Parts: sequence; C-alpha cells; structure tokens
Amino acid sequence: MNPYQSYDAKIIEIRELTSREKLFTLRFTDREVEEGFTFKPGQFVIVDLRGYGEFPISLCSPPTRKPIQLCIRRAGRLTRFIHKFGEGDSVGIRGPYGNGFPLEKMEGANLILVAGGLGMAPLRSVLWYAIDTGKFEKIYLFYGTKSYEDILFRDEIIYLLKHGEKLNCHVKLAYEVETPSCIYLEKGFSEKVCKGVVTDLFRGEEFDVNNSYALICGPPVMYKFVIRELLDRGLSPGRIYMTLERRMKCGIGKCGHCVVGTSVSMKYICKDGPVFTYWDALSTRGLI
Amino acid sequence: MRYVKLSAENFSPFFEALKELGKIYGPVKRNSTYTFVQVDNVKELSLDYTRTILPPKKFFVKPRDKLFRLKKENWEDIKDGESFVLFGVHSCDIHGLKILDKVYLGDPPDPYYKSRRENAFIVGISCMPDEYCFCKSLGTDFAMDGFDLFLHELPDGWLVRVGSVKGHEVVWENQELFEEVTEEDLKHFKEFEEKRAKAFKRSLNKEGLADILDLAFNSQVWKKYAEKCLGCGNCTLVCPTCRCYEVCDNWIRAYEAVRERRYDSCFMPTHGLVAGGHNFRPTRLDRFRHRYYCKSYFDPSAGFNCVGCGRCDEFCPARIEHVRVLEEVREGLL
Repeated sequence: MNPYQSYDAKIIEIRELTSREKLFTLRFTDREVEEGFTFKPGQFVIVDLRGYGEFPISLCSPPTRKPIQLCIRRAGRLTRFIHKFGEGDSVGIRGPYGNGFPLEKMEGANLILVAGGLGMAPLRSVLWYAIDTGKFEKIYLFYGTKSYEDILFRDEIIYLLKHGEKLNCHVKLAYEVETPSCIYLEKGFSEKVCKGVVTDLFRGEEFDVNNSYALICGPPVMYKFVIRELLDRGLSPGRIYMTLERRMKCGIGKCGHCVVGTSVSMKYICKDGPVFTYWDALSTRGLI
Repeated sequence: MRYVKLSAENFSPFFEALKELGKIYGPVKRNSTYTFVQVDNVKELSLDYTRTILPPKKFFVKPRDKLFRLKKENWEDIKDGESFVLFGVHSCDIHGLKILDKVYLGDPPDPYYKSRRENAFIVGISCMPDEYCFCKSLGTDFAMDGFDLFLHELPDGWLVRVGSVKGHEVVWENQELFEEVTEEDLKHFKEFEEKRAKAFKRSLNKEGLADILDLAFNSQVWKKYAEKCLGCGNCTLVCPTCRCYEVCDNWIRAYEAVRERRYDSCFMPTHGLVAGGHNFRPTRLDRFRHRYYCKSYFDPSAGFNCVGCGRCDEFCPARIEHVRVLEEVREGLL
C-alpha cells in the first residue's frame, strides 16, 4: 500500500462553528476502513483535496465517538476551498499521523487542558475522550478566545459551564474583546468567565501538581506564558504536554518541512510529535 | 568482499555487458561541468570527473516527481519500474544515498524511492579530490557498502570490489572479462589510496562539532554569513543529502490532474510558513543556521548529514564555504 494514497471519505455533515471555522463530519466510503480507523487524541490526518493539494489537520472528535470530525479554519488556499464543499461531497483522508497524547499514562490524574483559539480543536478530542471514559480524576479546561463569536464548540462549552461539574469537568473561559454576549455570559457564570488572557484563568485555582498533567494547544505566542504559569505552580516539565504545528506535507517524516532542532537533536514534528513535553522543548531548540 | 581485476582492454566490453541491466547513466562533460546522463558509448564518459552539479540523488528523488494521476476522481499510482545502471559514482555520493536511505526507507518506506533503489545497479569509481573536497575528514571518502561494483583505477585497468549479490551475478555472468587480482595490483591500489589521502586540501574538524554548534546558536558568525548569503537555495539543490520536497497538484487536462513533488529548499521563506501566515523561520538568519544545523546533525547510528562532496561550495554564487563557516563558528565560541 502506498502511504501517500488517501482513502475516500464522504462529508456527512457540515456545521458552521464561527465565521471562520467549520466542523466537518466525515465517514470513510470503504466500510472496512471506517471500522478499522482508530486514533489517539492529539493525532492528525492529512486531508486530500484531489487535484488541489493536501493539508494536515488535527482530529477534533474523540476516539470514543464515530464518525470522525475535523474543525477547519479558513486560513489558506486549501482551507478556503474546502469551506465551499457541501454535505455529500467527498475528500481523501490519510492517517492518522503523529504520536498523540499519552493518555493511558495519565489515567487517574487530573487533566489541565489549556486551549487558545483554534487550539481548542485537538483538545476537544482529549476533553470528550476523558469525559466518555471517566478514567481521570478531574478535568480542567481553560480556554482563551478572542470574543464570544470566536468560541469554538460554543454550545458544548456553555453546556459544560452549566453542567460540567456533574461530568467531573471544570471549564473556564477568558475572552479578549468585550461584546454584549460576553458580558451576558460573564454575568451568568461570574466565577468561570472573565475578560483577559488564558493565564488569568489559573488565578484562584488549586490543583495537586503531583497528580496532574497539563495539555496545551494554542498559537505559538501562548506557550511561553502558559508554561511559565504552570512551572510557577510547581508542575514538573515532564507533566506539561503541548501539541505543535508546522508545515507538514507528508506526515511520515520524509519531506523535511517540519524538522526542528539543532546539531545535537533534530525532531520531526509529524512523527516524533506533534505532542511534546516541556523537557523536549528544553532540549530541542526551535520547538516552541 | 571479493576483488577481481578488469583489464583496460576489457573495459569497453564490460560497459556493453552492463547494458543487459538497463539504461546506463554516467558522468559526461558539459561545457565546464559534469552531469549524469544516459550514455550509450563508453567514449562519452568522463571518468576523471570531479563532481556533477546534481548528485545521483536525482535518479531516486527526482527534481520533479510524478506520484499520482487523477482520473475520474481517483488517484492512480504512477510507477516507474525500469532497471538502470548508475555508472561511475563517487564514494561520497554513495554515502549520500545511504543517508537518504535512512530517511526514505525508514518506516513507512517511500514506495517510489524504494523501487528505484531496488532497480538501480551502482558502479562506484575511485576519484582524486579537488580543492573543494573534504570527504576524508567525514569518513565518506571510501565506501564499504552501498554499491554493486566499485572500480579502482590501476595503471593497466581496474581493481573491482564486488559489493552485492547483483554485483556477483554480473561478474559471474561475464567471467571472461575478469581475472584474478595479483600482488602487484594490490600494491598499485594501496599506492593510489595513499596518494589520494595526501591530496586533500580541505578538512572539517568534526571533534565535538555537533555540541559546539549547538552552543554557538547566537554566534555572530551566523549573522555575518547570513548577510552574505543570497538565499538562492543552490546549496540545497546540489546537496546529495538534502531532500526537502514540496507537493503540488497540477491540472494537465480538464479532467486529469497529476500530483507531483519537487525539490524544496529550507532557504526559501515559504519553507516554514504555515496557513494563517505564521512563519517559524522568518529571517534568512534562521534559515541559514537551520541548514548548517541540519547538515551537521550528528546521528549516532549514521554520523553527520554531510558527506563532504564540496558541491555547496563550488556552486555557491556568494562563495560561502561550508567548512570555513563551521570553523569560524567554532573559533568564535572557543
């Protein structure tokens, strides 16, 4: 089998999440492929728009639920193109690629999910996996977003703000731009929603650093601040996991676009990652 | 390893016999440079060549490589399964292919590269270094494997090292062309190798190089050379171990498209660019330093990603010398 060959998948549902992001639900045409497709939260696939190109995108649905879902932001030529697709159209999918989060190692511990903007997409996979399996102590979700209109999976977030505690899930939201909807949301959940950046959400939160793992995904600028906040609280670098982005063309460590590091350690984001610990970041220059 | 001798008068028949294996590509002089092209007659070959512009990687990772053809909404594999002979490959380029093997044959193997590797018959040839070569200091001046036959020049012919089963088969089937190696031949072989070892003018001090470079991340030397560098990417295109590629889909007819990959270079500003406009290596300094780090990455199981062929120096329009940059970075730190 040619590893560059994608499987045909049909778009069975498209949901508009924000003005820039759409959620695509896909099912593989081949039944065997559909049934055999398993993955870990944090892994990604390559979407093949046949005749136009390929792009990597992380899986945003949990492995506990089928069919698979991809949250795609209109950001470049190909993503603009797929946004014109309709339900019933088909694309190619190959993968899953990357290492994913080692969640089996984290069972029984607290999960601190820190998401910024589109970083919510891969962490949503972890979030629902953790809720569905119930194998974790407590799930924290700290989500920083631009404005109310930019909240990804808004209905799910609001649902969790309301009923999260029942599911062992503690959700907090920070927004940057004040709009009437945000103020309304803040009034409703004064303890959980505030104006500010994602690190502001840590204020007043206590968690057992010896029994917690942090999982981070967001824009490049966010990592430094979030990691500092976590280290200050005493979380060890080996308990800080982050999922990173690069220009992955092949997904299997051949094309060289996602190579980072120096003469002593070089890593491929696509196959050595995209999930790395803070230890990796300390020993590999250019990772974050 | 098995050693046989090919006398000078049997060279041409040997070349003809190789045609059984497929098309033969060998070094041919074009103006002042050399290139690997298809050769029909032994007279066309320039076996005393220094280096070709593009290394033999162009036969395995092609500058433009068609992967799939889109027909009726489905991709069809494009296969090229022809056997061929690469005649007259230098030791450094054989080592270059071995480095590419690590990447392309690693799990999961690249099917295009793999089939070309399996279909290739590689005949190595001994060479004399010129002012750009520094392969000796990297240990890539002599190939112990990675070839089928290796020809070492003798005063009256060639000492042939047989490096693979396919090589054995060729020698077996053409027994009449080969003879046993004599003590005198071995003496000549040794003399040549000694003479060659003394001919190197340039060497790279690899002592602790990987660590030194890592420590010298903020060295001013990177900045100095990044300002001199034109960012053209020549060095990456001609490098036998550079293998970054870009993939693009092209419509060739109204209902037919091909997906092809082509050489990319980490010197191009788009190399680290992601959708949305963020660039992970925005400046020329970032990109320049990245290439040196990539080439000087020390893999405990394979060594450095550089084979010292000297192409990046010879074909650099800004006259930046690989060894010199690394030496200056080292000096700047110590």
